[in-house]
Amino acid sequence: MIRHASTLNNDEKDVLQARFALRVASHLERACADVSPDVRERLRISRQSALAHIPPAIAVPRLRPAFAGASAGQSFDLDVVSGGSDAWWRRFTAFAPLAVLLAGLFLIQHIDHQKTINAAAEVDAQLLLDELPPEAYSDPGFEAFLQSSGSGAEP
Amino acid sequence: MSTDQELSEFLKSVETRAFKRTVYAVRDEEAALDIVQDAMIRLAQSYVDRPSSEWPMLFQRILSNATMDWFRRQKVRNAVLQNFSDLEVADEDGDYDLLETLAASSDASSESAADAVSRAQIVLAIEAEVAQLPARQREAFLLRYWEELDVAETAAAMGCSEGSVKTHCSRAVQALSKALRAKGIVL
Repeated sequence: MIRHASTLNNDEKDVLQARFALRVASHLERACADVSPDVRERLRISRQSALAHIPPAIAVPRLRPAFAGASAGQSFDLDVVSGGSDAWWRRFTAFAPLAVLLAGLFLIQHIDHQKTINAAAEVDAQLLLDELPPEAYSDPGFEAFLQSSGSGAEP
Repeated sequence: MSTDQELSEFLKSVETRAFKRTVYAVRDEEAALDIVQDAMIRLAQSYVDRPSSEWPMLFQRILSNATMDWFRRQKVRNAVLQNFSDLEVADEDGDYDLLETLAASSDASSESAADAVSRAQIVLAIEAEVAQLPARQREAFLLRYWEELDVAETAAAMGCSEGSVKTHCSRAVQALSKALRAKGIVL
């Protein structure tokens, strides 16, 4: 028996609409099967090109231990880091090696500078502790130094 | 599975439909291939770190935006504005009621349309009518029933409300049913 549209409720109308639409979609799916090999190859190349554009810090294996539960009967996949902190963590790991390198270079420079200072200090100390040679007393510069410092250096 | 393997599998599953959907919009296969490639690259560059469950909706949104960018570049704003307006389907037959057609086809033991028209011709006719739909109706229809996104995902992909999605889908179904019936095709 053919039912008049006015006898259908909203749910039935939605079902009919969806049924028709899915039939159209199934025909469209057949159209996809008729896509030319040339187009398929171009799409494959496009896909490969897209994969090459994945940022290096993100192109790492995801650890996906599956847990029971979650929505729609699917396993609850737990990523190593969740949604929002993922990007922060990946940025940190991307810049960490550079930061370590810079810190190392700075440390090396600092140690080298300290060595230079220590060496100069040692030379100065030995000079101060050593006895003055007799020639120093005939040196005009040394005499001027003694007068300016105001100290009466005894030979 | 690594991220690039996962993305590769996803893109492989959607690329053909994405190409066809774009062809319906721009009516140029070369342009459609460029647009799809652009959308794939944008997804890989900017959104691959999102949960993979979001990729379908994100990709469809990116594809729609890439199609819009193509229209802008082509400087066919008038055509875009016209397509994006919610055109009323001219109801030449004042008594036509989609639901009568649908109800009749579901209740009656109607013979397959392949008896009268070959299956390839049916597909071509359907493709032609889908391409004739106003852009928003076509987009909503294809995302909802071909890409199998739910109403919320479709609304997110289109950047509109769920109510708008339902309205666009309803009007698209009405227009397609009437147009196909006029060609003697009953699904």
